[in-house]
Amino acid sequence: MHDIGSLVDQLVESTKTSVGLFVPELVLSGTIVVLLLCRILPLVWRVPTQWIALLGAFTAFGWTLSQFDQLVTPSEALQVKTLFTGLLKFDEFSTFFRMFLSLFLILTITLTVLTGIPDREDAPDFYTLLIGATIGMMIMASANHLLMVFIGVEMTSVPSYAMVGFMKGRRQSSEAALKYVVYGAGAAGVMLYGISLLAGLTGTGSLPEMAERLSMIVAQGQGISDPTNRTIVLASLMVLVGLAFKLSVFPFHFWCPDAFEGAAAEVAGFLSVASKAGAFALLVRFGLAFSGQSKEVSSIAFALGIGLGVLGAATATFGNLSAYGQSNMKRLLAYSTIAHAGYMLMSVSALLVLRFSKQAGAEADVASLSCIEGLMYYLFVYLFMNLGAFAIVALIRNQIFSEELDDYNGLGTQCPVLCFGMTICVFSLIGLPPMGGFFAKFAIFYSVFKATSVHWVMWLVLAAGAINTVFSLFYYIRILKAMYVKPRPDGARKVTYDLMPVGLFVLMVCLPVLGLGLFPARFSETFHHVASLLLTGR
Amino acid sequence: MSELTPALLWLIPVAPLLASIFIAFFGKALLRGRSHVPCVTALAISTLCAGSLMLMFLAAPSQLKPDPNTNSLHQRPSEHALQPVLTTPGYAWAETADLNVRLDLQMDAMTAIMLCMVTFVSLLVSIYASGYMHGDPGYPRFFAAFALFVFSMCMLVLADNYLTMFIFWEGVGLCSYLLIGFWFQKPSAAAAARKAFVVNRVGDFGFILGVFLIWKTFGTVRFADVFELIPHVAETNPGIFTTICLLLFLGAMGKSAQFPLHVWLPDAMEGPTPVSALIHAATMVTAGVYMVARSTPLFVMSPTAQMVVSGIGAITALLAALTALTQYDLKRVLAYSTVSQLGYMFMALGAASVSPKLATFAVTAAMFHLFTHAFFKALLFLGAGSVMHSMGNVIDMRRFSGLRDVMPHTRITFLIGSLTLAGCPLLSGFWSKDEILVALFEGTKAGGHETFFMVILGVAVLTAFLTAFYSFRAYNMTFLGEERFPEEAHHPHESPPTMTLPLFVLAGFSLVIGLFLGPTGVYARQLAQSTSLPGHGDHPHNILLMALSAAIFCGGYGLARWMYVKSPAVSAGLERGLKPLHRLSLNKFFLDELFNYLLVIPVKVLALLCTLFDKYLLDGLLNFAGSIPSTIGRIVRPIQNGLVSHYAWVMLLGVVLFLIQMLRALAG
Repeated sequence: MHDIGSLVDQLVESTKTSVGLFVPELVLSGTIVVLLLCRILPLVWRVPTQWIALLGAFTAFGWTLSQFDQLVTPSEALQVKTLFTGLLKFDEFSTFFRMFLSLFLILTITLTVLTGIPDREDAPDFYTLLIGATIGMMIMASANHLLMVFIGVEMTSVPSYAMVGFMKGRRQSSEAALKYVVYGAGAAGVMLYGISLLAGLTGTGSLPEMAERLSMIVAQGQGISDPTNRTIVLASLMVLVGLAFKLSVFPFHFWCPDAFEGAAAEVAGFLSVASKAGAFALLVRFGLAFSGQSKEVSSIAFALGIGLGVLGAATATFGNLSAYGQSNMKRLLAYSTIAHAGYMLMSVSALLVLRFSKQAGAEADVASLSCIEGLMYYLFVYLFMNLGAFAIVALIRNQIFSEELDDYNGLGTQCPVLCFGMTICVFSLIGLPPMGGFFAKFAIFYSVFKATSVHWVMWLVLAAGAINTVFSLFYYIRILKAMYVKPRPDGARKVTYDLMPVGLFVLMVCLPVLGLGLFPARFSETFHHVASLLLTGR
Repeated sequence: MSELTPALLWLIPVAPLLASIFIAFFGKALLRGRSHVPCVTALAISTLCAGSLMLMFLAAPSQLKPDPNTNSLHQRPSEHALQPVLTTPGYAWAETADLNVRLDLQMDAMTAIMLCMVTFVSLLVSIYASGYMHGDPGYPRFFAAFALFVFSMCMLVLADNYLTMFIFWEGVGLCSYLLIGFWFQKPSAAAAARKAFVVNRVGDFGFILGVFLIWKTFGTVRFADVFELIPHVAETNPGIFTTICLLLFLGAMGKSAQFPLHVWLPDAMEGPTPVSALIHAATMVTAGVYMVARSTPLFVMSPTAQMVVSGIGAITALLAALTALTQYDLKRVLAYSTVSQLGYMFMALGAASVSPKLATFAVTAAMFHLFTHAFFKALLFLGAGSVMHSMGNVIDMRRFSGLRDVMPHTRITFLIGSLTLAGCPLLSGFWSKDEILVALFEGTKAGGHETFFMVILGVAVLTAFLTAFYSFRAYNMTFLGEERFPEEAHHPHESPPTMTLPLFVLAGFSLVIGLFLGPTGVYARQLAQSTSLPGHGDHPHNILLMALSAAIFCGGYGLARWMYVKSPAVSAGLERGLKPLHRLSLNKFFLDELFNYLLVIPVKVLALLCTLFDKYLLDGLLNFAGSIPSTIGRIVRPIQNGLVSHYAWVMLLGVVLFLIQMLRALAG
């Protein structure tokens, strides 16, 4: 019999400690409240809302940074624990992503300040949505319970729909948002179904407990032909569908080009990076939830890993091939985003394959470390290079009022800073040294290569990755060709820029891309450390 | 004073570097006609620094040979005296587990002498150039490249390891390229610059391979460490020395214009004359000699390599002298003379193999000739430049003559230069050439290759005779005879003082420097302190050889005077009588044509084939490969047709397929 009193005490105690570690999210939530108040209180209305939003974002970033710092340095100051009676996980991995997301929030808000995309009237609403989505992603990154998985995904998705349709006047924008909603709702429904099945079968929603329960259930059945086991496979697949939707993995990617084309470039940049980061963190957690002693559960995870590898290869190929012939920059970058999600998915696949292979040993453990390390490195570089590309598209749009590739002709001489920034980003997206993208791709291909020793399909995945890198060269170079080789048509609008704020921002985004390529060792050490802490499950 | 010495040492290369950067950035906008000021100032500073360091070296007790094992150096009586090797730490340029390259400066006796010569001659030439280049649109560019060259040359001789040396070896090559092609609008100048660069590349390839091999063999590229490890390597792998030395010598052949890589130097005369004087006569082309002299400890380990050095030197000296006999372009005569004299130096360097005792003497002879040659050859070139300046840029000796009255200053200094080059007794060229002959003569007496050195000595004597002849042929044709000017010369005049002053200074040095430093043994004693030399050895003299070379000088001088002054008909008659031989010499033994047919045309054909291959086959394949993704892209794009129902259907299909696949995988 449970003693109600001690249970209450336990709850109170857990909440007390949890709230202390949950401060960044709470700060962001507080910021939302303040932003909403702005609309009502005339006094606060005077304060520019972007500063309030920036203040909140900076606080959250600083807080998560210090948390991350304390966690990574070996000391007793902060410890890994589960928050709110096991709903959220507070560890190095989640803190890294929370830090990553709040940094990204800062950069996005700065970009919107520069481009002025939400006007003064709409700014509180826009920042509310932006911050709300970020909180959702942070929850995704630290979810430790199926319930939080769903809440995180939905909290990210709903503001995203609104942001895509934020330019209310444009028909294209509304259509994109509507498509996104319908598609997203479908995916969320499938995911929720999967979650219900899993929770119903195992009797728990907690991810760490799930593995044990699953192995118990599987052990009772008679192999894979058992209907229960088939249901498990189906359920986990359905959860993956929800995530695949967020990651815009083929064949769940259809919303992506339409939504990005309809949305403002700033929003597209935000969605392309942040929601992917959150979803990848969640995917890794969900995949690792299959860890356990049971051979059968492992083999399910292994099959999932192989499947994800094939999906990753298909996604990268599809994204790159479709990017050919695109004339709209946002659409082109949308397909490029899909392709990059494919590359990153390959590393998750390699992780599952290595970790759940039958001959798992010390060597496979080391190799699976490099998978997570590669994924984190890729995401970190991707943050800067993709945001940089979208930001420059937005900044150029403010000048020439166009996002068509043809209108970029000859811009190289007119706005050298922006075009140089674009060049760095594009080189990094292609994966040319010495940009960060090179090492990111290298790390991922390396981990896939390690996985080839486990299963032959990974060779195909690796080959697809390599061929895709070559394919992608052709359409990325078109951007540079337009900017630098083609002449500026006569009578085209002249582009002028104050160098100071815009140039500084471009520099701020592009220098890390270069820095991550020139000094990869420091970062990859940190990521390696985080990965090892995650995998040892300390 | 001793705390100051590192600063002084760094100042020598850094001053011209700063000048170069300054002129490069501000020359066009700010300095324009005054661009020479920073350059001359910097070179004056460098010269002063080099001179003061040299004096400190002279003050050092000459018997001090560095001994790394004892600390006795600190207890020397004279506080101002310097160690024979002065090393100042720079910074670590590349540090890896296997290779540490630091950019340190090292100065020993050999470096000190080279530095004094380089900075001093550059200073004079830069003063001269401020007059010569006056009014040229590229005036700032000239001095920026000029100062950069001096920087590179100083760093080359200050290098304490082979890799740094190679870097600045390339640096002087680059500056040479920039300055040969200074008038790049002229196709011939552009072609000459390219030729110099490409031919040097052949040599540099050998050099860098040599450096690699040194690193592989010794595990280090520092001179001091390499030389220290020689006995060790000699035990384990004695055969390697010949390969290393021949590779290094290949580099020297390129830079110092030795047969068959000498073809670039005469063409390099397309550059401005001060450049020819400084880079292509006095300094850069001697870098090869310096490098071989610096590597003496390696070369003495391989008599074979040294015989090659001597042999190539002899062939070059003779061929170049024969070519110089019939050239009509005054600068080309001097260029071939430079090639020939460089061959002389290599002949002497090769003689170091005769016996260890003679090694120091032979290298000293070469370095001494390098030293004196720098002064009198720079003088001759600057004199030729002065003539050119006055004659409206005409340099063909058939088109002018009898300039003695119009250009008295140029004439007297050019005469001194010619006398020195020809080896007139008591002038500096006489002493240095005599030492080389003595070194070769010693080779005929001992060492096991007597016959070989007999031939070399014969070639050397013959070349000395030819040298005397062609120097006076050039002098006589230019300054004596009836007074004639080409029509390009609007008002023939003596050059301005900025140009004649350096001529006089150089003439003064050419007259006396040999007498002061040669027979007195000052130079030899000083150089013997160098770390690259085995130390004091024999210093043989040979009165008979001196008399012989005096007689040779008189013979050459007399013949030239008879043929070109007394009875010019003789030379014309000879020309007709020996027509095939004359044509052979006039056309430089058809070497350029030979290279053209043997190398240039085959390479061009190959290049054409490569172009065709690239253009049609590779581009075709690439275009095909490039068209694959876009074609497939066109096929897949219709899937993205904007209909949500369509999307949902594909999504469902995807889930089903994935599920089936997974179940099958798990079942099987």
